[in-house]
Amino acid sequence: MDALQYWIQGFAVATLPMNLLYALIGCVLGTLIGVLPGLGPAAGTAILIPVTFSLDPIGGIIMLTAIYYGAMYGGTITSVLVNVPGEAASVITCLDGYQMAKQGRAGPALGIAAIGSFIGGTFATFALMVVSLPLATFALRFGPPEVFALLMVGLSLVTGLSGRSLLAALIMTGFGLLLSMIGMDPVRGAPRFTFGIPPLYDGIGFIPVVMGLFGIGEILLSMEAPIIEVIRTKLTDLMPAREEWRVSSGAICRGTVIGFFLGLIPGIGAIIPTFLAYVVEKKVSKHPEKFGAGVIEGVASPETANNAYANGAMIPLLTLGIPGSPTLAVLMGAFIIHGLTPGPFLFQERPDVVWGLIASMYLGNVILLVLNLPLVGLWAKLLEIRFQFLYPGILLFCILGAYSLNQSVFDVGVMIAFGVLGYIFRKIDWPLAPTVLALILGPMMERALRTSLEMSAGDLSILVTRPISAVLIIIAAIVLLTPGVRLLGKKAGKDEGG
Amino acid sequence: MRGRGKWFFALAVLTWALFVGSLHAADYPTRPITLQIPYPAGGSTDVGGRIVAAIAEKAIGQPIVVLNKAGAGGQVGWTELARQKPDGYYLGYINLPHLLTTVLDPERKALFKAEDIVPIISQALDPTTISVRPDSPWKTLKDLIEESKKRPGQIAAGIVGYLQDDEIGYLQFAEAAGVQMRMVYFDGAAPAITALLGKHVDVLFCTVGDNFTQWKAGRIRMLTIMDKERSKFYADLPTTAELGFPTVLSASTRGIAAPKGVPAPIMKKLQDVFHKAMMTNEHIDMLEKAGQPVKLMLGEEFTKYYWEQFKVAQKWVDYVRKK
Repeated sequence: MDALQYWIQGFAVATLPMNLLYALIGCVLGTLIGVLPGLGPAAGTAILIPVTFSLDPIGGIIMLTAIYYGAMYGGTITSVLVNVPGEAASVITCLDGYQMAKQGRAGPALGIAAIGSFIGGTFATFALMVVSLPLATFALRFGPPEVFALLMVGLSLVTGLSGRSLLAALIMTGFGLLLSMIGMDPVRGAPRFTFGIPPLYDGIGFIPVVMGLFGIGEILLSMEAPIIEVIRTKLTDLMPAREEWRVSSGAICRGTVIGFFLGLIPGIGAIIPTFLAYVVEKKVSKHPEKFGAGVIEGVASPETANNAYANGAMIPLLTLGIPGSPTLAVLMGAFIIHGLTPGPFLFQERPDVVWGLIASMYLGNVILLVLNLPLVGLWAKLLEIRFQFLYPGILLFCILGAYSLNQSVFDVGVMIAFGVLGYIFRKIDWPLAPTVLALILGPMMERALRTSLEMSAGDLSILVTRPISAVLIIIAAIVLLTPGVRLLGKKAGKDEGG
Repeated sequence: MRGRGKWFFALAVLTWALFVGSLHAADYPTRPITLQIPYPAGGSTDVGGRIVAAIAEKAIGQPIVVLNKAGAGGQVGWTELARQKPDGYYLGYINLPHLLTTVLDPERKALFKAEDIVPIISQALDPTTISVRPDSPWKTLKDLIEESKKRPGQIAAGIVGYLQDDEIGYLQFAEAAGVQMRMVYFDGAAPAITALLGKHVDVLFCTVGDNFTQWKAGRIRMLTIMDKERSKFYADLPTTAELGFPTVLSASTRGIAAPKGVPAPIMKKLQDVFHKAMMTNEHIDMLEKAGQPVKLMLGEEFTKYYWEQFKVAQKWVDYVRKK
């Protein structure tokens, strides 16, 4: 059978009423999971696996996949509305999304996120259909040295997040790296900075830290203002303005490409595509200084990248049987429980499943859009709750979310401690995003570097003798050094100009 | 409530609590049971756990709730398991020899001891294999050994997990065959297999459960399996014994355990229920589809195996730490 026939067969399967229903349920459940801070797509998907036991394999997989990218979108909603990122991928959306919400523009922010996600996801699914195997095989060339180099590029992005003070950004990055070392050493298992506290053996917990820094910190900050105006969002303001559509379209294109290609590389995680897309958008923008104050491209770009990444990461899973992230590992486990083994074998053995799934991913993206766009108005109205109820509600929400991670009060304590820290950092105007970036990338970089050195028997040059990693290291160096060079240039200019 | 009324009430509650706490096996279980998995969802342990939980809970009459408590290669989950009350309502998965090397390795600073956890029943015994790519120049184990002797310390060998079954398998093999390779560690099967497929390592020490998917897809070929008998999954694959290395035996054994001190009647009931559940065709089929070799060891047999593995773990932890 040729591709077109598979394609049609796939749609026939995906549009069966029961399968459509499963996709719908999955999208709704996924969005709810994403909205609840702390739960996260991985845990949420895992919890819902037994629900799918009683379904046939295709139906079950369709529902789980829908939950997966539904959860990705759900995280956006809380990031925009209350500055609480539901998971790593939504962190960067807080920067501009929340600012837009404060200006009464929550509607356009959520709307462009939904639309961008749809476009990014659809493109990625299309690419999955057309070029999966060759792309996935190329991505295998990214071994530990290349991953380390790519993560270096990721870390170098802090220069794009620095706002007014590069030094503050660098300090916050260092702080994040320090935090990332708490816990067991990723290779030898020796505990570091744990002070004998069992919950710390596994590290400080990314979600509580992020929820504290962003969410609780914001709540503390808003407690300062004596009068808080209720943010009224007019219905006419629910859609982005024409000017905003124009700039968003470029952002969406760039976000799609970045998210999709990074999704092919197993083990990268959703945070790099979103940060990278944001920083790239800022660098190509005509008004970079407005980023962080509520520009729509600052939401469109990472959100598109996010969903393009989520759909693109299905490629290594389906073609090679390699899950690129914890959530995908859960999905893979679900595949196995249903008796399906992901990999090229699956394409041959059960084309109905694979193509049905692919067609269902398209439909899932459409369903998400149809579901969420009308709801944008409803979500935006949430902000009209009076702050006496809204902020305690958010606080309760966050505490429940942090507790739900490990049924541990320790995580709640961490969140609150970092909430206070977040408040302090905001008062002195130091950027939070670099800390978050370093906290996630730190362990990944350490692991990649140690594995690379094991491969080369201790020889650091492995990083620059391999072509892909050498190129990436050079890019990272350029990105890191450019601001410094520019600074020197300015000084020289000043001296000459007098 | 005031005065004496409060005291009577407290006394009544206390009596009731004590009574509830000393339930006999006949009444057990009266509420849901937690089955903790010390690894992230989606891995082989998690898959196996969820399958058996779904089957066993029908027989035992109460829900068995699967809980993932991942971290530090299992240490976080096992620390929690050892801490829990031995009332039969909190069980956990253990992996051997990982659990034992964690306890024995002084660097890990484990907060629990080997005797704090009591095995109930084993589910799968997943032997270590030596895997290569299909296009690898090594067609037999002998080829690999010869090449390693020519280039000692040069061949990159991927190892899944630190001081787990795959590393012990490598160390036994290295000692028996007199070879030395360059060890490259991965903290999970997925990155290790990715590295092998991407040509970043040339040999991989991993288990059947780890590489089954890729083997089915024709992307991995194995040189040997470290077991006494041939695997039913890989009938053409010679064992280490057949190839002249009968002492090179290594496997990842997964099973259910409880904190020390669970009353004997409850333990017996748990053994019976899980034994029956694991013997069902449904269970065996699902596990085998996932590439996991089922091996049931009950109660004393599993405990004996536990302490045998303890000795093996001790030997190799000391060996590695002395280097």
